[in-house]
Amino acid sequence: MSARLIDLGSASVIYRSGPLWARRTVEAVREVSFCVEPGEIVGMVGESGSGKTTAGKLCLGVLQPSSGTAMFDGHSPIDRSCRRGQMAVVLQHPEWALNPRLKVAISIAEPLSIQSGVSSQARMRRIEEALTMVGLDAGFAQRYPYELSGGQRQRIAIARALVTRPRFVVFDEAVSALDVSIQTQVLNLIKQLQAEGGFAALFISHDLAATRYVADRIIVMRYGEIVEQAPVRRFYERPSHPYSQALFDTIA
Amino acid sequence: MTPLLSVEDLAIEYITRRGAVRALDGASLTLSEPCVIGIVGESGSGKSTMGLAIGRLLPIFAQRATGDLKVEGVSLFAANDENIRGLRRNRLGFVFQDPMTALNPSMKIGRQLMYAAGDGLDPKGVHELLGNVGLTDQARVAASYPYQLSGGMAQRVVIALAIARKPALLVADEPTSSLDASLRDHILELLVSLRATMNTGVVLLSHELRVVLRHCDRVAVMYAGRIVEDGDTSVVFETPVHPYTLALLAAAPGRERPGEMLQPIPGVPPILSGRATGCGFRPRCGFSSKRCAAERPEPRVIAKRMVLCHHAERVIDDAQRKDIGR
Repeated sequence: MSARLIDLGSASVIYRSGPLWARRTVEAVREVSFCVEPGEIVGMVGESGSGKTTAGKLCLGVLQPSSGTAMFDGHSPIDRSCRRGQMAVVLQHPEWALNPRLKVAISIAEPLSIQSGVSSQARMRRIEEALTMVGLDAGFAQRYPYELSGGQRQRIAIARALVTRPRFVVFDEAVSALDVSIQTQVLNLIKQLQAEGGFAALFISHDLAATRYVADRIIVMRYGEIVEQAPVRRFYERPSHPYSQALFDTIA
Repeated sequence: MTPLLSVEDLAIEYITRRGAVRALDGASLTLSEPCVIGIVGESGSGKSTMGLAIGRLLPIFAQRATGDLKVEGVSLFAANDENIRGLRRNRLGFVFQDPMTALNPSMKIGRQLMYAAGDGLDPKGVHELLGNVGLTDQARVAASYPYQLSGGMAQRVVIALAIARKPALLVADEPTSSLDASLRDHILELLVSLRATMNTGVVLLSHELRVVLRHCDRVAVMYAGRIVEDGDTSVVFETPVHPYTLALLAAAPGRERPGEMLQPIPGVPPILSGRATGCGFRPRCGFSSKRCAAERPEPRVIAKRMVLCHHAERVIDDAQRKDIGR
C-alpha cells in the first residue's frame, strides 16, 4: 500500500467545445501535481474558473486526465472499482443533491446498495448510525427533503457520503450556500467526523477563511495551475505567493 | 432637516396559503444624512424585505401591518403611484445580487444607460458614466450586449445604471454574492466611493460580516425582522452588546487562531406568523430569562449604539470579565 491516497502527477485536463469545424479547447487544469495522504484534509481555494472542481473530479476519477497521471491508493486509472464504497462527494446545493421524491432513509441507503453483503437489518442500523453521526435523530429517516432546512439537508448529504465509511471524500463548495451560523455548524461537523472517522478529504471552496478553518494543508489555484501549496499555519500568518496574499487580505 | 431614510416600526407580512408570515416585525432605522450602512443578518432575517420596501418593490402578496417608511420625508405607503415612480426614477437606485438578470439581454449597454439616464445623455455621457464605475474600455462595453460581459463588468454596468440619475439613496442587496472573492472588494469600494463622489447614501445588505466590517461606516444587525443592534461599525464589532451580534462574530471563520474551535449558534431562526411577544433570539440565547419571553425588548441606547435586548448590561459585564480573565 502506498502512503499516498490520492496522487496526481502533472495532470492536465482539456475541455473541448463547439462544433467540429470550429473546435475550441480550454485547458481547465494544467500540469497539476498534488497528493492527499490518508487522514488529512486538503483545502483547495481559488476563484471560479480556476480549475478547482476539475481537480476534484480528477481525484474522484469521474474525469480522466488528458495527460499526466491520477492514482488512488496505487491504482491508476481511478475507476469505478476504486470509487465503490471508498470515495464520496458532497456538493454545494443540498436541495439538488437529494432526490425530492425519496425519503431521507432511502437516499442515505443508496450508496450501501452497491456494496454487497449488507443485510437489510444492518442497513437500517447503518442509516441510524449515519444520522446520529451528523447530529440528527433517527426520526429524520422517514422525512422528505422539502421538510428540512438547508443545514439539515446538507447534513443528510454528508451522512449519505459517509454511510459507506469512505476513505476519501470531496467537499465541493459544501458550505458556500449556507448561512454563517449554519456554516459553522457544518464546518465543525466535518472537522469532528474527520477526527473520529479518519477519512481523507479534499475541501474545495472559494472562501479562504472557511477552508483555513477545516484544512490541514491548503492548495491555491489560479488559471488552472497551482500557485501555492502550504501547511495551513502559513495561511494564518502571511502566505508567500502574491495571489495568496491578495486572498489573505480579503479575509484579514 | 428631514432624514434621508426613516423606517418607523415597520411590519411587513407575506400572505401565503398557510397564513401570514411576518418578514419584518417592527423594524426601525433612521439615516439622517448620507452614509454607508451595512445591514447584516442570516437568510430569513428580513433584510431583503427591508431593501425592497425602500422602493415599495414588494411583491403583491406582501402586506404592511404597521409602521411607515419615508424617503426624504415622503411616505412610500401613502404616496400615489406617480410620486412613487418619480422617487424610484430620481432619488433611488437599486443593485441586486445577479447582474445578468438585472440587465435587458436584448439591448446594448449604451442604449440601456441612455434609457436609465433619461433625455439628453449623449454617447460621451455614456462613456463618462461607464468610466465612473471603473470600466476602462467604455466604447466596447457600450456597444456590447450583457452576455458579452463578465460578471464583474456586468455588475459595474448595473451600478452605472443605478447612479445614472445621481440618486440620493442606493440600495445594494448582496451585490457581490455571485461574484468572485477577488472582484468583491473592487465592487464594494466602488459602492462606498459613491458617498464621497456623489453624496449618495448606500444601504448594503449582506450576510457577510467581514464585508460590512471592512466597508461600512455604520452597521445594523437584523434578526427575526427587527434591527437588534445599530451603531458605528467599529463600536458594534469591537464591543458587541446584543447576544446575537456576539454569537455571529464568534461563529464566523476568519478571526480565529490556528486550532481554535468556532462556536456555532445552536438552533435556527424563527418564522413569525404575527407580532412576536418577546425577543426573537430567546431560544438560541445564553442570556435569556423569563422576561425575554414575556416582554418585547424596546430600543435603548447603550455604550454609543442602539440595542434591543433586556440583558445588554449583563452582556457587557460578561465580556469585561472575560477580558480580565484572559
